[in-house]
Amino acid sequence: MMSGFAFDPCDKCEQMMQPYLDRYLTDVEIKEAEEHLDGCEYCRKRYRFEVEFRTFVRNAVAEPMSPALKAKLRALRTPL
Amino acid sequence: MSEASESSARQLATDARDRVRFEEEALDLSDQVYGVARRLVGSREEAEDLVQETYARAFRSWRSFEPGTNLRAWLFRILTNLNIDRGRKVQRTPDLQPLEESDYFLYNKLEESATDGTPDERRVVERLSQNDAVTALADLPHQFRDVVLLVDLADFTYSDAAQILDIPIGTVMSRLHRGRRMLKGSLAASATEDS
Repeated sequence: MMSGFAFDPCDKCEQMMQPYLDRYLTDVEIKEAEEHLDGCEYCRKRYRFEVEFRTFVRNAVAEPMSPALKAKLRALRTPL
Repeated sequence: MSEASESSARQLATDARDRVRFEEEALDLSDQVYGVARRLVGSREEAEDLVQETYARAFRSWRSFEPGTNLRAWLFRILTNLNIDRGRKVQRTPDLQPLEESDYFLYNKLEESATDGTPDERRVVERLSQNDAVTALADLPHQFRDVVLLVDLADFTYSDAAQILDIPIGTVMSRLHRGRRMLKGSLAASATEDS
């Protein structure tokens, strides 16, 4: 990493991480992010971790709905 | 049958068909609605009540849904509004401590504390506990949690989340960023305590 420089590509990459993972970048920005990632093991590892982390949180907090609730919701339908 | 009553009978039949379709499509989304509701409130019972209220209101006001628009976003808007109406439990004031400097700090911390050399990303995640994730999410102040739930759990885009919560996209992005960092911060703290 080149911290202390006015332009640090890893800093820029980190700033782009959230919108990149959320698919909220322009095509040009995506290309820019991917070019950096291709050449930077440091950022690549951390990006992969972010992806893994989101999957982890999503699975960790998942709780299926009970069949009883499902039946109650169906009972709320308008009778024909 | 007169022509007029025939046409109104036809209208009634069309209405009934549209309504059945609407209700079935809404019910198909109930697992996702429950998944988010469960993390909006503190208990399973409250979540079940909230989901039932959501569907009761959705079915009552089905005419206000514009066919062809996003039914999922429409349902989640009802869900989040009802949750606000129910009055949220007293929240602690948002943590005003400065955030960690980097988005990467959870990874860096886990990597540092690994005892078996440099781990790969998957194994680093495996060191986090499921219960800690549930607690960390529950502890987020609601304005951050709402956005994290809609984007990370329910996969809504920034613009859908903005519409559902009636806030600007920029606010969605900043709350999401801060919410995710707080989540990582508390998981980093519990992961290093445990190890």
